[in-house]
Amino acid sequence: METLLTPVMLSRIQFAATAMFHIIWPVLTIGLSIFLLVMEILWLKTREDVYFRHFQFWSRLFLLNFTVGAVTGIPMEFQFGTNWSGFSLAGGDVLGHLLGFEGAMAFMLEATFLSIMMFGWKRVSPGMHLLATALVAFAGSLSAFWIMVANSWMHTPTGGFMKDGRFVITSHFQAIFNPDMPWGVSHMWVACLEISIFVVGGLSAWYMLRNRHTSFFLHSFKVAVLAAIVITPLQIWLGDGSGQSVFEYQPAKLAGIESHWHTNPPGEGAPWHILAWPDAAGQENAWAISIPNGLSLVTTRTLTGPVKGLADFPPGDRPPVVIPFYAFRIMIAIGFALFVLMLWTLWAWHKGRLTSDLVPGQRRLLQAWVIAIPLSYVAMQAGWVTREVGRQPWVLYNLVRTEESATSLAAGTVGSSLLIFSIVYTLLFILFLVFARRMVVRGPNIEKVRKQEYHPGIIS
Amino acid sequence: MQAIVPYLPDLWLFLIGFFLLYYAITDGSDLGVGMISLFAHSEKERSMLIASVQSTWHGNQTWLVILGGMLFGAFPLFYAVLLSALYVPLVVMLIGLVFRGVAFEFRDHSENKRLWGLAFSVGSLIASLGQGFALGGLLGGLQVENSRFAGSILGWINPFSALICLGVLLGYVMLGSNYLIMKTEGDFQDRCYSHGFITSLVTAFISLVVHVVTVARYPHLMRKWVTYPDVLYTGFFPLLALIAFIMLLVSLKKRREVAPIIWNALIILFSFVGLSVGMYPNMIPNVASEPVTVTAAAASPSVLMFMLVVTGSLIPVILLYTAYQFWVFHGKVEEGSYDGGDE
Repeated sequence: METLLTPVMLSRIQFAATAMFHIIWPVLTIGLSIFLLVMEILWLKTREDVYFRHFQFWSRLFLLNFTVGAVTGIPMEFQFGTNWSGFSLAGGDVLGHLLGFEGAMAFMLEATFLSIMMFGWKRVSPGMHLLATALVAFAGSLSAFWIMVANSWMHTPTGGFMKDGRFVITSHFQAIFNPDMPWGVSHMWVACLEISIFVVGGLSAWYMLRNRHTSFFLHSFKVAVLAAIVITPLQIWLGDGSGQSVFEYQPAKLAGIESHWHTNPPGEGAPWHILAWPDAAGQENAWAISIPNGLSLVTTRTLTGPVKGLADFPPGDRPPVVIPFYAFRIMIAIGFALFVLMLWTLWAWHKGRLTSDLVPGQRRLLQAWVIAIPLSYVAMQAGWVTREVGRQPWVLYNLVRTEESATSLAAGTVGSSLLIFSIVYTLLFILFLVFARRMVVRGPNIEKVRKQEYHPGIIS
Repeated sequence: MQAIVPYLPDLWLFLIGFFLLYYAITDGSDLGVGMISLFAHSEKERSMLIASVQSTWHGNQTWLVILGGMLFGAFPLFYAVLLSALYVPLVVMLIGLVFRGVAFEFRDHSENKRLWGLAFSVGSLIASLGQGFALGGLLGGLQVENSRFAGSILGWINPFSALICLGVLLGYVMLGSNYLIMKTEGDFQDRCYSHGFITSLVTAFISLVVHVVTVARYPHLMRKWVTYPDVLYTGFFPLLALIAFIMLLVSLKKRREVAPIIWNALIILFSFVGLSVGMYPNMIPNVASEPVTVTAAAASPSVLMFMLVVTGSLIPVILLYTAYQFWVFHGKVEEGSYDGGDE
């Protein structure tokens, strides 16, 4: 337990807690804003009340979620400086302006038009309101783009060289379009969409299970199912691509994630461990349940392709194994489960069971959708843990070590702030759940939409 | 483009100053409203105060996010030193901002309006305290060795920074009060006029003391004040601030509605520019050892240039749409817009 008390370890725990707590909120903001945009377009096209009411219902949840996301993002940005000043200095040439761009290009746009989207119904014309919603949705995704560019660059830091402990940038293009970027950006963006699909679909299922507003929520449920047809398999494919990228650019990380100790000899395939327990001292697995040749197949697309083992890396350059190994497996298990849930729902739809009369009877299916809400978040967190713990011991892969990049603070100082942040985050989380639950239990307003509820526009 | 390379750090200093000032003036008003709401006579009044900033505070706070990112990018050394030196006041500020921020929504949903109204008020106060002490800590000087902060983590606790913090608190309250004159009517507006007058006088006095004490602390600043022709430009901005201050008092007396907040913003602008001109070319002042200059703290020219092109084209766009947002939500706080929102 001694290692837990070093200031660096405490800073790591604080940053992990901040990041893992913060990321809960933007994922839903990003996906739900697109859902809101779809609802608003449908309303403008059809003028059917149900879409206006859907917009109203989900936008309340959106705002509550957005608020917690916004206030928890600022501590994250500041912690680069407060706790990781060595890292800020070393990577400042690239990371600083990416974060600045995120703020100036995306977050500002989002924060400004969010107020018009939420409080401007009566103040701006429907066309302007639609533009505001579209800009909020666009800005959310643009935010994700810049943040993921910055994060990907930490994994594959290209576009310059190290000089006197600082990264000197030679090509902004190469730094932004670093090798991990296409995968990092797309995998996370699609995760945002996938989680939002299961939140919208799962909450709709919750109402239908109770047969409350069933026909109302069947609308949102079907939108979620339709989106899931594309998104759930796409995410699996992107996950595979990300894995390929890790194999190519971060071989030690890949070996850690797979608990793969010894490079497979020529002619022999590396197995994929379904479950295993690593023994770091013995440089092997204490036990493992494996699929022969599996790892060679998924990484090299051949049965016997060579996959470098952990033992071939100096002990100081090896990532931890247990955490990324299990986190990775949790993520993929959930990813496939959500795909299966999509197929199951399609089957039910095909059988004509998704009607307001019959759907409340589909109890197992609807229950599965409700459970999918927390599961989708767990998959995302597990993915982040795999990605970031697997990056260790580096903060900038193969260039700067985490150990060297922390601010030299006393353990007491970091410990106190960690304690404060933990208490505040726990409190925020509980309060969010209390208020979100209250909102859900109260349910939507399904009265007829009155003319006074929105701006008449130019026509009247 | 090559011609501006030597001026890049200064240009970026100017931009960072712009972000900081824009934040301090707009969110400063919001935080000021928050602190004023500590003295709200009733829950209804507090509701009105919260509603007066509800649609704009978020955009205003986002300037802090931009400031953080741009500072990190343009002056990594400054960012790293400043944030690690001011760890404690900044954590305090962040916690304050968290509570101020969630209070808007949580208050809407909660039955306990009083509790979340209080979170709004106290959160604003705590955030302002953190910002005040952070500014005090920086102006008081930071010890830097080998590009890292080498002073005490509690170095910002001293009478000098307490004085600056007091100035910041009063400045925000003054901004908040003048902002509320624009947003409210009737009895409450009357109170803002009379309180605004007193707060302005006290704030002006404290600002004067802050100026004098800061000048006395740094010999190079003092030199600029006592040598001719340097004194012409060091004295120029404080003089403008004084004129703006007189205009503020006049506009309060004449019960103008929009003029006070504008004069107030100008006072802050001129005081801030005045202090910065005095401090220049130092970015991290230091009493004991060598200060860190603007050029030394800056990122490489290629980064600054890239950032300048992108940010330079973004700023007009941002100003345009934030102006649009202010226009959409301009006018007095509407009765009814602050009890229960759109439900």
